[in-house]
Amino acid sequence: MNTRLAPVASAPDPVLAAALERAQAQVNRVVLGKAAPVRLAFACILAGGHLLIEDLPGVGKTTLAHALAATLDLSFQRIQFTSDMLPSDIIGVSVYERESGAFKFHPGPLFAQLVLADEINRATPKTQSALLEAMAEQQITVDGATHKLPTPFFVVATQNPVELAGTYPLPDSQLDRFMLRIGLDYPDPAAERALLASSDRRELLAQLTPCLSTAQLAHMRSATAAVLASPALIDYVQALLAASRAHAQIRVGLSPRAGLALLAAARAYAFLEGRAYCVPEDVQAVFPGVAAHRLIPSASSSTSRDRLAADLLAKVPVRN
Amino acid sequence: MKSSPALTGLQFRLTAAAVFVAVLPHLLRLPSLISVPVLALIALRWLQRRRSTKRLPAWIKLPLVLLFPVLIVFHYGNLFGREPGSALACAMLALKLLETDNRRDARAAICFSAFVLMSALLFDQGMWITVLLCAALVILLAALRALESARTQWLPDLRSGAFALATALPLALCAFVLFPRLASPLWGAPNDTTARTGLGDRMAPGTMQELLIDDSPAFRVVFDTTTPPRDKLYWRGPVLWQFDGSAWTRPEWLASRPGDGDVRVRGDRVSYEVTLEPSERHWLLALDVPLLAPQGAVRGADMSLVSRTHVDDPIRYRMVSAPDYVLEPMLDPLHRRLALQLPTGFDPRARALAQRWHDEFHGDPNRIINAALDMIRGEFTYTLNAPLLGRDSVDDFLFDTRRGFCEHFSSAFTFLMRAAGIPARVVTGYQGGYFNKLGNYWVVRQSDAHAWSEVWLQGLGWVRVDPTAAVSPQRVQAGAHAAAGASAPWYQADWLMAIRNRMDLVNRFWNDAIVQFNALRQQSLLTPFGVDKAEYPQLMLAMLALGSVLLGLFAWWAMRAPKPAGDALDAAYARLCRKLARAGAARDRAEGPLTLAMRVAATWPAQHGLQDLFAQYVGLRYAHALPDPERIQNFTRAVARLRLPVATPAAAQSS
Repeated sequence: MNTRLAPVASAPDPVLAAALERAQAQVNRVVLGKAAPVRLAFACILAGGHLLIEDLPGVGKTTLAHALAATLDLSFQRIQFTSDMLPSDIIGVSVYERESGAFKFHPGPLFAQLVLADEINRATPKTQSALLEAMAEQQITVDGATHKLPTPFFVVATQNPVELAGTYPLPDSQLDRFMLRIGLDYPDPAAERALLASSDRRELLAQLTPCLSTAQLAHMRSATAAVLASPALIDYVQALLAASRAHAQIRVGLSPRAGLALLAAARAYAFLEGRAYCVPEDVQAVFPGVAAHRLIPSASSSTSRDRLAADLLAKVPVRN
Repeated sequence: MKSSPALTGLQFRLTAAAVFVAVLPHLLRLPSLISVPVLALIALRWLQRRRSTKRLPAWIKLPLVLLFPVLIVFHYGNLFGREPGSALACAMLALKLLETDNRRDARAAICFSAFVLMSALLFDQGMWITVLLCAALVILLAALRALESARTQWLPDLRSGAFALATALPLALCAFVLFPRLASPLWGAPNDTTARTGLGDRMAPGTMQELLIDDSPAFRVVFDTTTPPRDKLYWRGPVLWQFDGSAWTRPEWLASRPGDGDVRVRGDRVSYEVTLEPSERHWLLALDVPLLAPQGAVRGADMSLVSRTHVDDPIRYRMVSAPDYVLEPMLDPLHRRLALQLPTGFDPRARALAQRWHDEFHGDPNRIINAALDMIRGEFTYTLNAPLLGRDSVDDFLFDTRRGFCEHFSSAFTFLMRAAGIPARVVTGYQGGYFNKLGNYWVVRQSDAHAWSEVWLQGLGWVRVDPTAAVSPQRVQAGAHAAAGASAPWYQADWLMAIRNRMDLVNRFWNDAIVQFNALRQQSLLTPFGVDKAEYPQLMLAMLALGSVLLGLFAWWAMRAPKPAGDALDAAYARLCRKLARAGAARDRAEGPLTLAMRVAATWPAQHGLQDLFAQYVGLRYAHALPDPERIQNFTRAVARLRLPVATPAAAQSS
């Protein structure tokens, strides 16, 4: 349908597009019946953001992170957060070496291209901050020495929203560090039956082959940043931001940083759709994931954040 | 003081135009002593300014400032009052233009122009003057607008002037309808010093001549019942009793004696409504013979209707008349004496003739009347160009000139009757009228003015005798002009009359709806809202409420967020969405174009052009930072061409 058009930005490279489709298909073979969240996860990675998966245990959060790492040919580390964990447990520690007579830095599990931060809300705020700081800076500083984290660097964090005893839920301001927050939810019956009938996930994960090289991923990320957001689309994004600030049931609306994240995610989504330009539908697809965890409902509001985001989408007109 | 910026050429020209159009409605009315210098001043200033932008020295301006008041006092006698006042305003406005070089002066000149323009309404409130005023206001507003812009074209300013006027119209209407009106004028607007033509209470040979060539409407009539035949359409005005040898007059004291005349109605009554144009006299007109007096008027013993106040504005009243009647079967002695009075020492020949008839017919009134009518029928000519008459006007007319019109005939006939001992009087009024088929009403013009006689006969009362009808039956059948000559004047040509009929209809509406909208009608305005008689506070409240609503609406409209750029594309897409909505697939406001495209694809699977349209739109809107105008046009045309079958309910539901 776009063949007749001559968009300003060039369409994605067909080879890359095919590889991207293959990568998504492979992840979908492991995480069954979750095409939409998988697509959002890919969009998040293309846009260079960090992903927060908030859902119950056992719905496949870890599997998804594993599958992403394997498919994208990224080095993978998993950190299981506990309340007695210290910042050095994740970023690493300097140890005195008798042979050299000097301190040597031993990198922690954070030094991987894809880090799964499991149950991040079990860690103390101190440890959480260390992680979030690393996420924002893409580097860590220990004993005055700065250590670069690998590139690309993705954090996929999970959070259990139900079991709250002994946890430290991420403060609203910290949630902002995650570009997207998705839920996985229970699989639908057909997908669940297929899941039960098929072999062990771990075996499947071991069979996964990388579909995209690091170089290809870097190339796609730059192509994603070049996806055109026309003035009309910028208008729409801005209207959404403005509406979130004017909404009666929202105490704190979306920040400009949230707007940038929204636009970046929408670009990535458009890229995944094979388009070199954004349409409002791209924004609508990523909006709940980008916006819901950033909205702070007013005290009197009993509406969930997801509902508020959906409400905004339904209210803000797309052009005229 | 910080000096105001100098005017550009265009700004000056528009200001000068504003001044010119402001004095324009006054020019015809002003004496040439004033109007010519005013015009010359404006023209000279225009020319001077074209040559240089130098300021005029004071030694030119000062004498002019002194000259105009002198001219005005010379012509009018003083500086105050409506006429001299407006003349002074016009002159001062023209003088203001002389010193208008900067923006502040121009603003003052334009504001004063508005005042001068408004003062034209003191003289005339007709429809055409209002239209002219509105056109002039557009120029004033354009000039005002031009002062704020540095444009070199006047058309945009003119357009914004017209726009400003149009937006002010609802508010003006609101104020017109609801601003509390005083039952009596706030200030006594002085009357026109020059009396309008109209029936007077005095008739001398030649006085009606002016009327008979005046084609303006005198009054309009709508009949409720069947219209009497045209030759019965005698509209009764002042009845004249006294003759002093040259003029017929009405005794003042008779008007103050409201006697209920003894009328016996034979046949049907006729009821109708009269709308009288302002005459600035007391007379009200009614079909012969009126059976009642309208409110605010009395019916005299001679059946003439006299209003208590001058008719300064159009008034309307309902009347009932009896075309067939017996009036005053028993003649009042006073009336008899009045109706036989003759001045001594005038018109001996006419007296002798009447005496001879009296003796010859043994005082039989019927035979005397017939003899007189025979005489008139035989040797007299009806003409509007009657020769002048001498001291014995009746003698001159009867025996020498024998040419004249209604007033000559009625005067001579009445004189003869009295001389022969038959009580008689002159009745003035109008005869006939013109039926306007478009509006289903009669319009009676000044040129329909007429005079006839009434004689009192035993057993029959006052009987109308129209001697003019004897010499020229056409006068009564077709009108004065037709009677006077074969060819109608140019302004009564058929095609022109057709236009005039329409114009008269519009004028009538104007009088009804605008000029006659007075305090009384305003009070009944709020009746539908449960206020029986709207007093000032209620009217004020209503006006403030409506006014603020209008202002609020306007403010909302003016402060609306401006539409984003790329309007043509938005408009075309909006049109596409309207077409879809009409066909049964309305767009949700929050719905993106691709979502909508998928939805309508389900509704109209066969409409491939539709999907192409969406693709075009998405491409133009989102795949380009600046869409190509030509492609937008193509898209617009494609949307215009699109024809959609109405979606079947099933298809619409499935979408």
